[in-house]
Amino acid sequence: MSRQNVILQIARRGGSLFSLGKKLWQHPKGRVGLILVGLLVLVAVLAPVLAPYDPYDVTQRAEKGLRPSLQHPLGTSITTGQDILSMLIYGSRVSLMIGVSTGIAIAFLGALMGVMAGYVGGVVDNLIMRVVDVLLVIPTLPLIIVLTNLLGRSYFVIVLVFVAFGWTGLARVIRSLVLVLKNSNYVKAAELAGASRWYIMTKHILPGTSHLIIMNTTLTCAGIMVAEAGLSFLGLGDPTAISWGKMLAEAQGGGALLFGAWWWILAPGVGIFLAVFSFMRIGIVMEEVFNPRMKASSSIYKLFKHLNNDYLDEVFQSMEDEANAEPAEQPNGSNPPMAEGAHD
Amino acid sequence: MKRSYVIKRILYALFIFFIVLTLNFFIPRIGVRDPAERYYPPQGAMSEIEYDIIKQFTRAQYGFDVSTFQQYIRYLRGLTRFDLGTSLRPGSPKVTELIGQRLPWTLVLSVSTLLISLVTGLLFGTLAAWKRGRWQDTTLLNASTISVALPAFFIALMLSFYLGFELELFPAYTNPNMVADFDWSWKAIQVVLNNAALPIMSMALGGIVGYSQTTRNSVIAVTNEDFVITARAKGLSHRTVLYKHVLRNAMLPLATSIGMSISGLIGGAIIIERVFNWQGMGTLFLEANSTNDYPLMMGIMLFLSAFAILANLVTELFYVILDPRVTVGDKR
Repeated sequence: MSRQNVILQIARRGGSLFSLGKKLWQHPKGRVGLILVGLLVLVAVLAPVLAPYDPYDVTQRAEKGLRPSLQHPLGTSITTGQDILSMLIYGSRVSLMIGVSTGIAIAFLGALMGVMAGYVGGVVDNLIMRVVDVLLVIPTLPLIIVLTNLLGRSYFVIVLVFVAFGWTGLARVIRSLVLVLKNSNYVKAAELAGASRWYIMTKHILPGTSHLIIMNTTLTCAGIMVAEAGLSFLGLGDPTAISWGKMLAEAQGGGALLFGAWWWILAPGVGIFLAVFSFMRIGIVMEEVFNPRMKASSSIYKLFKHLNNDYLDEVFQSMEDEANAEPAEQPNGSNPPMAEGAHD
Repeated sequence: MKRSYVIKRILYALFIFFIVLTLNFFIPRIGVRDPAERYYPPQGAMSEIEYDIIKQFTRAQYGFDVSTFQQYIRYLRGLTRFDLGTSLRPGSPKVTELIGQRLPWTLVLSVSTLLISLVTGLLFGTLAAWKRGRWQDTTLLNASTISVALPAFFIALMLSFYLGFELELFPAYTNPNMVADFDWSWKAIQVVLNNAALPIMSMALGGIVGYSQTTRNSVIAVTNEDFVITARAKGLSHRTVLYKHVLRNAMLPLATSIGMSISGLIGGAIIIERVFNWQGMGTLFLEANSTNDYPLMMGIMLFLSAFAILANLVTELFYVILDPRVTVGDKR
């Protein structure tokens, strides 16, 4: 069985969202991830109910710099006496909102660009891949800083900028997959039957890439959460909201390090860690579910590449190479689609 | 032909650079129509004439005194002389001058981080691959999962808290006089090393884990190749096979990931530099941002992009030269 057939099989294995959730739940690591994400969502939604104090209340002079106790389970800040637990609970809203909304938007844009580049090909493909090349060399964080300076520091702008520069990785992966799917028999059959391009793209190609999109989205959410925390830490997030990155910046600025207020730093850090960790877990387990031949450790390795916008690139490159090497196995030998790899 | 391939790649890199520099010119201009009105709105007690003078001065400072097309031509002509424009700081220093002052300090951090994480990563990665499935390997796997989810600046804060303030091993903030007092004496170098310890540690942690994983996977992939099995069958010792056959070939993917990290070498330290107030390119950029110093910001951006393009190009060409198995897309 050739590698190409394996990809096609994996592509068809996607199934419904429900069956995917079931598979994740059956996987012990996946269950941990799902429970953590569920808790995170619950905390974010019920923040006003769960938070014991008003996190925006900066007038508690008598409560400044309290260590963790029964009244304040995670202590209070040194400068203004805000309750850390309440801030932590409210901060989950920002992380979750930015992470998930950016992830979903990137999924749409990346899938659209990838499918167009892969299926339509020609000038469209060339144009999209040149844009990707340009976006890849522009340093992302400085550019985001410039754009937030220009367009304002609302979360809408931040999400917009993240999406504008985050779709390249997904688009490349989807493009590679579409180049394989394009030559599969069922797409060929649809073409012969006279189906329109749009119909084939939405009915035949897109479903084949859905599992990859879902998996990539969870990993993107995790990556964006880290990036958002960094932006907020630099003081570039929305100035009116409480976020974990901003809590860390305030802690450092307020002298938490100097006065030994470890609880003020540890709480938001652990918050970021757990949120990112749980999304990553789900993404990694999803990859194992879709492709049992892939070992957990190699997907971690790819996660590093994902953070560099090169996620899964290598796998597909090797698959393309192999497919190139054995053109006899292709259903239509005259038109090897993988010849135009990422390095054309 | 390899030569035509090389020329093609260089031309393509130049093409990308041209697009990037054009974008770099137009990006600040989408948000700012008139810097005078944006940054110096008219104030109550100011007469029309006074405000006109301020307006003209501000426009000249930002280079908005001629039409956009003329500005673009001026920008291109400046670039041919390696002139990235003039900063808005008092004394109007050249952007290239400011970059030149700060670049060495960022390189101190990033190059030593790269070296440390590379050497350590090679060691750990080879160990994990050699002991595949045993505790060394699983530890690396768990460390990877954890380190990806931990932002580097949080690690930096914790290190600064524990090693800097609690144990007082290293300075928790960079000595503000370090840059001014530096005179290549042994004592000054010691001060720099001491101050750089925590920033390097917090950046190297993620790097070590990353390179370990790359090395591990690459070594395992090579171990399964036929020539390694042949070498074993010939009766060569484990050690010889590891050094002479496995590691040499396993280095290739590592070379690519080094190339990738080199392009992020200068710009990647922004947040860590901020945590420790290290006077490098990152803090320069943030200073420029907080004073709306667009010429400086865009100058740094262009410099970083050019560096990334160059690093990518070199990696790509290096890879073709290094690995004889790589074909360059020529049908013959």
